[in-house]
Amino acid sequence: MNDTVVIKGSKSGIILVLSPDASYETLKKDVAAKFQASASFWGAASKAISFKGYELSDEQKNEIIDIIQNNCQLSIVCIMEDDPLVESAFRKSIEDHAIKDKDISNTGQFYKGNLRSGQVLDVETSIIIIGDIKPGAKVISKGNVIILGSLKGNVYAGASGNPNAFVVALDMHPVQIRIADTIARSPDNPGKSSKYETKIAFLEDGNIYIEPLDKDVISDIRL
Amino acid sequence: MGEVIVITSGKGGVGKTTSTANIGTGLAMMGKKVVLIDTDIGLRNLDVIMGLENRIVYNLVDVVENNCRIKQALIKDKRYPNLYLLPSAQTKDKSAVTPEQMKKLTGELRNEFDYILLDCPAGIEQGFKNAIAGADRALVVTTPEVSAVRDADRIIGLLEANEIKQTHLIVNRLRTDMVKEGNMMSSDDVVEILAVDLIGIVPDDEHIVISANNGEPLTGSDCQAGQAYMNICKRVLGEEVPYLDLEVTKTFFQKFAAIFRR
Repeated sequence: MNDTVVIKGSKSGIILVLSPDASYETLKKDVAAKFQASASFWGAASKAISFKGYELSDEQKNEIIDIIQNNCQLSIVCIMEDDPLVESAFRKSIEDHAIKDKDISNTGQFYKGNLRSGQVLDVETSIIIIGDIKPGAKVISKGNVIILGSLKGNVYAGASGNPNAFVVALDMHPVQIRIADTIARSPDNPGKSSKYETKIAFLEDGNIYIEPLDKDVISDIRL
Repeated sequence: MGEVIVITSGKGGVGKTTSTANIGTGLAMMGKKVVLIDTDIGLRNLDVIMGLENRIVYNLVDVVENNCRIKQALIKDKRYPNLYLLPSAQTKDKSAVTPEQMKKLTGELRNEFDYILLDCPAGIEQGFKNAIAGADRALVVTTPEVSAVRDADRIIGLLEANEIKQTHLIVNRLRTDMVKEGNMMSSDDVVEILAVDLIGIVPDDEHIVISANNGEPLTGSDCQAGQAYMNICKRVLGEEVPYLDLEVTKTFFQKFAAIFRR
C-alpha cells in the first residue's frame, strides 16, 4: 500500500486525491484496495465525490465510482466539480438574476418611434414606447410594456417569467400577447371595433385578460 | 413517402404565395396530409394569407437551429386538421438557413406528410436556392406579362440545372376579355414561349383579394379562381381534368347596359 490514493472525507462528501504520476491501472487497483479496507468505516452512507490530482475522463470517473461501490457499501450520489471559477460564475449569475427580477418592474426606459414588421425591441427592463407596434413587429421586455400608440403586433412582457407583468396600449389590437409563459392570440374573426380605448392585458389564473384600463384594474396592478 | 413541391416564379407579385395557400388547402380538402413551408425569410406572407399569423410561436429558423422540435413549430390550419403551416421568421434574413438544412428538414417531413409545399421567395438568390434544395418537382407561376414570362423562363432554366425532375406551369391572373382583344398573351402563347407543360390557368378574380384579406383560401368555392385551383390540385394528384371555360359571364345588368351602349 502506498500514497497513490488518498481519501479525504467530510460529512457529506469524499475528496479522492489521486497521484498524477501513477498509471490509471494502478490507481484502479489501489482505489479498490483502500475502499475495501475502510468499508466498515464508511458504512452504508450516501456521499458526493470529487476528484483531485489525476486528470480523469468522464468514463474513468464512472469506472472509479463503480469500483468504490463494488468494494464497500457507500453509494455515490454525484460528482462535484472542484473548480472555483465555475463555482463563482454560477453564484454570480444566480445573484444577478435575483437582483434583476426585483428591479425590472420598477425601472424602465423609453423608446420613441414606430416598430415596423420584422423589427424587434428587446429590453431588460420595463419599456414605454411612444409610437405604434405594427403587425410583424415584436417587443420583448422582462418587465411591463406600455405603448402610447397602437399595438397591432406581438408583445412579450415578463420575459424572465414574471407573471405580474402587464401590457398597456392606447389602441389594443395585438396579434399575440405573451406574459411569462402564457400566450394569447387575437380572435380569428375580429369584430369591427375601430374605437380607440386604452386597455391593459394581464395574466390571471393562467389566462391573459384584456380589459379597459379603469380604476379597479389599476388598483390591482402590482409592481 | 411524401412529395416535395416548390412553388416559384422568379418575379414577385405573380401569385406564388396565393397559389401555395390555395393548392395546399385543396390537397388537404381531398384528404391528403399537407404541410406548407414559407421559405421567404424576412418577408413572410403565407401565414397572413392562411389567417394563421396569430398562432406563430416558433418558425422555420427556430427549427433548423434546433431551438424547438418540428412539431412545436407546425401550426394546424383553422379549417382542415390535416393541413399544417411552418411559418418563416420575420426577423432574420435568407442566410439564416442553408440548402443542406432545408434538404434535411424536407427529408424529415416526408415521412409524416403526403405533400410538402414550399413557398419560394421572389428572386434567384439564397432564398430560391434554399427552397429548391429539397424539392422533387416544381410549379412555376407566371402572369401573362412579358416581364413575368421572362423571369419564369430563367427560373425554369435554373430548375433544370438543379435537376428538378418535373416542372409545370401555372398561368395566373389571366383576363379572357383582354386576350380576346389581343391585348394580353393567351395561356397558349405563354406555354409556347416557356415550353413546359401547363398544369392550370387561374383567371384574374377579385375573390382572390377578398379571400387573402380574410385569411381563408378559396379553393373549391364557387368562383372561377376557386374552381381553377381545385382543378390544379386534381392535376397535381395525377387526375385528368379539362380546362375551365373562363369566358367572362356578364351579369344581367352588364348585358343590359351593353345594349344601351350601342
